[in-house]
Amino acid sequence: MKIVYSISILSMFCLIVFPMLCPAGDLTASLPEGFILQPDEVIQVKVAMAPPEPSTSGSSVDTIISSSEPLASFHPIEDSIPISQSDESIRLALANIPPPPSKVEEPVEMIADPLEPVNRAFFQFNDKFYFWILKPVASGYKAIIPEDGRVGVRNFFSNLTTPIRLVNCLLQAKFKGAGNETVRFLLNTTFGLVGFLDPAKKEFKIQKQEADFGQTLGVWGIGPAFFINWPILGPSSARDTVGYVGDLFLDPENYLIASIPINLAAKSYDQVNETSLVLGEYEDLKKAALDPYLALKDAYHQYRQNKIRGR
Amino acid sequence: MSLPYLFRSLVSLLLVVGVTAPVLAGEPTEQIKQTTDKIFSIVKDPALKGSSKAQERRRSIHKAVDERFDWGEMARRSLGRYWVQRTAEEKKEFVHLFSELVERAYMSKVEDYSGEKVQYEGEPIDGDYAVVKVNIITQKNRDISVDYRLQKEGNEWRVYDVSIEGVSLVNNYRTQFNSIILQSSYENLLTRLKVKVARE
Repeated sequence: MKIVYSISILSMFCLIVFPMLCPAGDLTASLPEGFILQPDEVIQVKVAMAPPEPSTSGSSVDTIISSSEPLASFHPIEDSIPISQSDESIRLALANIPPPPSKVEEPVEMIADPLEPVNRAFFQFNDKFYFWILKPVASGYKAIIPEDGRVGVRNFFSNLTTPIRLVNCLLQAKFKGAGNETVRFLLNTTFGLVGFLDPAKKEFKIQKQEADFGQTLGVWGIGPAFFINWPILGPSSARDTVGYVGDLFLDPENYLIASIPINLAAKSYDQVNETSLVLGEYEDLKKAALDPYLALKDAYHQYRQNKIRGR
Repeated sequence: MSLPYLFRSLVSLLLVVGVTAPVLAGEPTEQIKQTTDKIFSIVKDPALKGSSKAQERRRSIHKAVDERFDWGEMARRSLGRYWVQRTAEEKKEFVHLFSELVERAYMSKVEDYSGEKVQYEGEPIDGDYAVVKVNIITQKNRDISVDYRLQKEGNEWRVYDVSIEGVSLVNNYRTQFNSIILQSSYENLLTRLKVKVARE
């Protein structure tokens, strides 16, 4: 077990690149009660004194800006007049006040970040690591191996890690997902050239069921606690780091490969291959963000939250 | 052919036709489809291909996007509680900068479209709000789920948020903007926005 543990620390290479699609998650249990209004609930907001502005003009920006009354925050205000939604003129006035979160809206949550200075330092380190080491290697690799081959390698490694997803599905009582993963493994190993192809998805339309121990802990009710940005490994949280270590015990590679250097090499190869398929995503994140560190942290958190809630 | 056999084959034929008939999509999905089709046709248009036509192409895409995306609403939501404190001038300026930022960031992605399949997977509608769920199947066989959140404005449904794999664009920017304003000031945020937009 000690060997597995040390492999885990060293095999950080294989885990996460920096796409916005990195996992993160949390529960909404910490939200105030009644944050999400039901449609038949009465909305309590301050009614504006200014005449209602019809929003039929082309630019809704002008409508929002030219209204003179202050816009309420997203939360209902306590000291206000209750109104029913059916009153047309008041509804038009309300057009200038932020609408209450509708049933289909998701609440906003931020993950705690007490280690921000350290996380930011590691973010800078990871940034350099990506541009100076990982990206050149992955680009060179990409130039040599055609895309189909690289997708095949990705499928192969994904097939190998089936036990992780399978066990975590069971732990989350996702029996259909567990069944899917079993069938996928059998089909892809036999008909899919030990996992290089993915006939389970292509022919039989059986989707991969993503699951990991961090997600399982989240489903069980454990919050992410706080954000940790590991060097090389990338964004994570206290809970997801525990999840990562837990999953190492489920990863067949750690049992099948006896020698540590070879295991490391395999994991590094997996990481380089994966990066070659998602080159450009990190650059896109930086391009779109005003503060890339915050963008990454928030994207990670929202992504994990979504995974735990389940779509 | 005996009558029962004929009858059975007719019935099965009708069933096949019935099943393959297009499902009636609701208004929000229809309007989203209109806009995406328009943008795809601009990208595919041979008359607008090449770097010489880049300006014109971008302007057309910009126009098509503006019809569907409610930048004012997105900008307001992304500024969160700091929106109330802004003057009308500042609000206008911010909306403009925000739309520039997002468009520049994603314009090149739009132009990179190369035949990804888009599956429309339902649209829960709740009064004046709707969510259009979309699944994009990339060429590397990866599924990306995208949610468009729309608000009804008159007869038009307009997008006020996009979630990619559960990551909401508005929330993501709100985290960034709120942090920056908390740590420095709104003026600093504005400066950073201007620098960023000028650079891209």
